[in-house]
Amino acid sequence: MFPAGNTSGYSFSIEREGLLEEKLLQLNWGVQHPASGPLRLKVWIDGDIVVEVEPDIGYVFRFLEKLVEHRNWINAIVNIERICFVDNFGTMIGYSLAVEKIANIEVPKKANYVRTILAEAGRISSHLVGLGSFMDVLGVHTPMQWALIAREKFLDAFETYAGQRIATSSIIPGGVRYEPTKEFIRKMIFAVDYLEKEFIPRYEDVFVDNPTLKLRTVGIGVVSKEKAIEYGLSGPPLRASGVKSDVRKDYPYCAYGELDFNVVIREEGDAYARYLVIWEELKESAKIIRQAIEGLPEGEYKTKVPVKLPPGEAYVNVEWARGCFGFHLVSDGGTGPYRLKLRSPSFANLWSIPKIMKGIKLADIPVIFASLYICQGDVDR
Amino acid sequence: MSAWLKALIFPGFLFLFVVFLAVLYFERKILADVHLRVGPYYVGRWGILQTTADLFKLFQKEFIVQKRANKILFSLVPFVAFLMSTMMLAFIPFSQTVYVVSTSFDLIILLALVTSMSPIFFYAGWASKCKYSFIGGLRAVNQLISGEIPLWLSASSAGIFYGTLNHLEIVEKSSVLNSLILLPGFLIFLTAVLIVSERPPFDIPIAEQEIVYGFITEYGGFNYAIFLVAKTIELFALLSLAVVLFLGGFKGPVFPGIVWFFLKISVLYLFIFLLRASIPRIRMDLLLKLCWKVLTPLSLLNIAFVITVKILTG
Repeated sequence: MFPAGNTSGYSFSIEREGLLEEKLLQLNWGVQHPASGPLRLKVWIDGDIVVEVEPDIGYVFRFLEKLVEHRNWINAIVNIERICFVDNFGTMIGYSLAVEKIANIEVPKKANYVRTILAEAGRISSHLVGLGSFMDVLGVHTPMQWALIAREKFLDAFETYAGQRIATSSIIPGGVRYEPTKEFIRKMIFAVDYLEKEFIPRYEDVFVDNPTLKLRTVGIGVVSKEKAIEYGLSGPPLRASGVKSDVRKDYPYCAYGELDFNVVIREEGDAYARYLVIWEELKESAKIIRQAIEGLPEGEYKTKVPVKLPPGEAYVNVEWARGCFGFHLVSDGGTGPYRLKLRSPSFANLWSIPKIMKGIKLADIPVIFASLYICQGDVDR
Repeated sequence: MSAWLKALIFPGFLFLFVVFLAVLYFERKILADVHLRVGPYYVGRWGILQTTADLFKLFQKEFIVQKRANKILFSLVPFVAFLMSTMMLAFIPFSQTVYVVSTSFDLIILLALVTSMSPIFFYAGWASKCKYSFIGGLRAVNQLISGEIPLWLSASSAGIFYGTLNHLEIVEKSSVLNSLILLPGFLIFLTAVLIVSERPPFDIPIAEQEIVYGFITEYGGFNYAIFLVAKTIELFALLSLAVVLFLGGFKGPVFPGIVWFFLKISVLYLFIFLLRASIPRIRMDLLLKLCWKVLTPLSLLNIAFVITVKILTG
């Protein structure tokens, strides 16, 4: 089947130790693949068994860390929010917290609550896309369509708030950019109502306890608790392995310390567990939004941030939709960031792939890839 | 109508394209309904000409053959597949008078044509000389070795029960009671049809998210359109066979036979579309397991059951 010495046909010799065998077939699972996004996995397969996987990244590298250095403290958020467009509130909050830590300013309580509402709404819209794309790789496109309809309601609320549906630039150092109007609150409640009363029951009936879904995902890509910590996983994949780690609970920021919510964990650590963690977190986020809207205080929604910040450093972690996002911000006393280092969860999750994807079936690559909940824009930054 | 006209117009070529366009349109419309979308809307009334426009767009595209591909085989395969699936339709009686040929071994020929589609898909994957196409071709063979045996066994249970392989005679002998006796066979047959015709949730050889588009990856434009027509007509022929064997064919009260035939087949199509909207794709090894450990033993048991009933009723 694989004639030796033929390099144009099906046989490929690979200059790696232990892999110099003609029967291996190298597949490029990526860049222009229906399920990969702008990212490449070099996959070596032996028949239907995956021997080795090597991620190849950098296709959407935008030099965001460097671009930030040419901005001032406030308008750097337009770069920060482009880390991943699906949920950009989490990243904006992290950067703003770092700036506030260096400037040593206290944001008003109202700003904290509005930030919480926006962050959770962003988390919901990200998780909806995550659920949809997880089912998409299994060949069912219904969940994605349903999820996008529910997501539209949240985007409508963002549009009312900031005038933009996705790139809102609405969270700035010192608070939030706009006053949360009654109309915004009404639309946000409408979106949460739609999510809880229409989307969740309809979706739960068909796509959560689905036997075929379980057949495909239970026991696939298992990561044990110890391994999850060793690989440095974060976010839903980490919590699906039984590690109770959530920055919102462990080191509360914004208004999370005053609100009541649970950290969703599962013990199994397989693809189905990761899917269920995303699913359960959706409900928790809706709960948080309701509480934050109820407890929304009166008062100012932003404070002044000086043009020049004192020299100093700050490291801030936030629980972003896809995991724990770290911001290391350095100020040299100028009008803008001197250096910003981003620790992105998707990058950490991506590098567990070579370990998890050893010895699996070819058909399980997209399942595990989607279950790790990776944003390609976040991997490259 | 003379046989020539029949072959060209009604259950023949022209009809075949109408079926293709209609099936594609309704699939998209029904899927859109499940997705809570609108679906085809702008081309023609209710978007009814959308699929025609799509087909003509594909027809006017360039005929691209990969440099490394086996050129003759690559270009030939879609047409062979098309011819074979067209031949299948010749043996289907759509009503008492509307059929192209009626022989004493209709069932065998139709099943043989269906089975020989899979090697053609393998050739398509092999001739493309593309890695994903090749894997798709191998998966098509996997589909063959898992799905065809339940298909043949469950279809032959109807043949055994009615004691004939002629479709017209089978329809004449059918009744509601007979259909009930053949119900297990029907369920196995329908599952096997889904497997053989590579419909979701068994669309393993063309699994988009795993192997791009399987053995059709390198096909584009006219070639692709012909391939698509062939696959759609194969499914149509198989569902027609299910109607003929298990659901009493064109029999039914009040309306003429042809209306009943299309009513029954559209119910089957609706079922298949809803499956596509709700069930994730299963894996290759799980399919093999399902077919060899569940479907094949069940279809053997079904044959035993049918023979027992036949002995008891004399």
